[in-house]
Amino acid sequence: MNRTASERASDVKRLLRAARALVASSASIVPSLVASTGLSREGVELALARHLETEASDEDVRKLVERAGNASRVTVVLSSNVFVGALRAIALARAASADVVVRPSRRDPAFAQALVSAAVGAGDTHLRLVEDLDVSSVEHGEIHVYGRDETIARVRADARVNVRVCGHGSGLGVAWISAEARLSDAADSLAADIVAFDQRGCMSPRIALVHGGETRALEFAQALDHSLAHLGVTVPRGSVPREEQVAIRRYVATMTYACRAIEGEAHVIGLGPSGAPLLLPPPYRTLHVTSCASMGKAASLLSPFANGILVMGSDDAAAARRLAPSWARVCAVGSMQRPPFDGPVDLRTPSPL
Amino acid sequence: MPESFDTLACDLARFQASASDGYARLCHARGVEPSALRNADDIPAVPTDAFKVARIATFPSTLTSKVFRTSGTTLGSRGENSLRDVSTYDAASIAFGRRWLARDVAGRLPVVVLGPSPESAPDSSLVHMCEAFVRTFGEPSTSASTYLVGDDAVIDLSAFDERVAFALSRNQPMLILGTSFAFVHFVDAIGKDSFALPRGSRVMQTGGYKGRSREVPANVLRADLARVFGVSVRAIVAEYGMTELASQFYERTLFEEDTPLGVYAEPPWARVVPVDPDTLEAVPAGEVGLAKIIDLMNVDSAVAVLTQDRVRRVGYGPSDRSETGQGSSEGFELLGRAPGAPARGCSIAIDELLGRATASPGA
Repeated sequence: MNRTASERASDVKRLLRAARALVASSASIVPSLVASTGLSREGVELALARHLETEASDEDVRKLVERAGNASRVTVVLSSNVFVGALRAIALARAASADVVVRPSRRDPAFAQALVSAAVGAGDTHLRLVEDLDVSSVEHGEIHVYGRDETIARVRADARVNVRVCGHGSGLGVAWISAEARLSDAADSLAADIVAFDQRGCMSPRIALVHGGETRALEFAQALDHSLAHLGVTVPRGSVPREEQVAIRRYVATMTYACRAIEGEAHVIGLGPSGAPLLLPPPYRTLHVTSCASMGKAASLLSPFANGILVMGSDDAAAARRLAPSWARVCAVGSMQRPPFDGPVDLRTPSPL
Repeated sequence: MPESFDTLACDLARFQASASDGYARLCHARGVEPSALRNADDIPAVPTDAFKVARIATFPSTLTSKVFRTSGTTLGSRGENSLRDVSTYDAASIAFGRRWLARDVAGRLPVVVLGPSPESAPDSSLVHMCEAFVRTFGEPSTSASTYLVGDDAVIDLSAFDERVAFALSRNQPMLILGTSFAFVHFVDAIGKDSFALPRGSRVMQTGGYKGRSREVPANVLRADLARVFGVSVRAIVAEYGMTELASQFYERTLFEEDTPLGVYAEPPWARVVPVDPDTLEAVPAGEVGLAKIIDLMNVDSAVAVLTQDRVRRVGYGPSDRSETGQGSSEGFELLGRAPGAPARGCSIAIDELLGRATASPGA
């Protein structure tokens, strides 16, 4: 069925209305989201209220439709994306095709189930949920798989040859704190980006580069420690798997040796030696901070991570654009977890995996 | 009477805490007063990640004579180990390598490395160790007929064929050194054919895959190599080492018929302690823990290193710890890299960043 761009946009907007209705009556699903995501109740409510993109502009929806392509059917396989990511994933699929099948994450199915149910209730009869879908049974169209690289590889291996598999893998965010930035403001904004989803999103900041010397980086780290402690009161960190607790302790020991680790009640900031290679810390509110004497040095430090960077947040957009990989989104610090609803969050060319 | 392992290890920890601000901070953070250390197991271990972000050395960088670097991954930084002097490293490597690979060889033997030459990989500790073995155990040969992986990463099978043919004509046992992924490429290249080595030949296999070949279970690769080379599976000797250490560990299979496959021996100057990942305390005998490696050859870097590899002691208990480590049935099993947490988000996991490197990261 060939739909016009306008019809596709209408289908997407109907999905957004369903999402708004779901948020309006979200009290019933919050407990199951808390249980399945491991976020605190406040963390779930924050994600629904601030990070679920229910108010997209017409222009953003137009871009999303343009980027979505066209397929006879799209099968959406949700694996380990943050729970609100289901909305964008289904919207992209709905823009691409009049026939959409969703396989929710086995570990974290609640939001996708509720969203599809709400959309069907709002009149979308071309969207359905199949909990135990076997990707090898998909006969045509595209599979959009969201998850870790190994999940994407497994789906690729199992899919039929005539089915196009589009993988949306993992990633990370980086913050560039310019020489002109007010450190306390930047720390408050970045803390908000870190707290969202307990830093488990592919746009979550994991590294902050501070333009200046070690003293300035330390001042920023201390300001961030204060901001995260403050925010941790209103939005407590959720449960942290044992393996990640071990990784966090390991990171603390590593940074204690390397330079400094600042440990809060539910966050860690590692301060790296100036000019030393970067170390990716584990998620769950752990940030690696280091000083950079110049943008050239920053670019050099980031180069080993470039393939994974999906977003760069900064108070200096022009500088961030120069530092970021070409595909990465650039935004203000504080908006890293609120990308425009204009396509996939990951703008790396989805490989026809 | 020689000083005990624990005394030497604690002395080294005190020296390193006095010479390295980073190690002093780590000791302080762990609540350990170096002057009070009496037991090597209590020495705070430096995580291998620290080698990626800090210089782990007790001497000024101007005195560095050699830097070994970990292999590159798809994303992330490479670890570095700076050495003031490689002679300690070489002496330890050669002594323990000889013990488990060549103790029965009176003279020299043909040594072939399925890996790059030292000129092509000057910062690889594994290549450095192989070069030391070639120099010490090997009969004279050219570099091109010794290091058989060129800059194009292709194995020179014809050079290998020539070395084997020459050794066969003289009935000389050979020593083949290589990484797991090189051996997988080798096996794939020759398919169902075989490359029978002279009687008495042995193969040292080390390292993980790091995405450089298809991954093959250790027992399958061992069986494949035994078939291809026409040797016993016990002549395929696995080695475990890493850039951050100066010591290596070997399976005892070549010389001890009753030792099970997959059990590694420690040199008398190194000890592998499985520790609880939460408390970093030694786990009870027989239980699995992360490998905390106490390496007395790491004089100028970190005497205790915390890895992410899971190990279990075999035939070992705190009450019968051997001071020599040789000739006993003590050892450890290598059980792979500690698994990451189940993914509940799309942030990059550390394992993913590291290319899901497996255990046996290679020297």
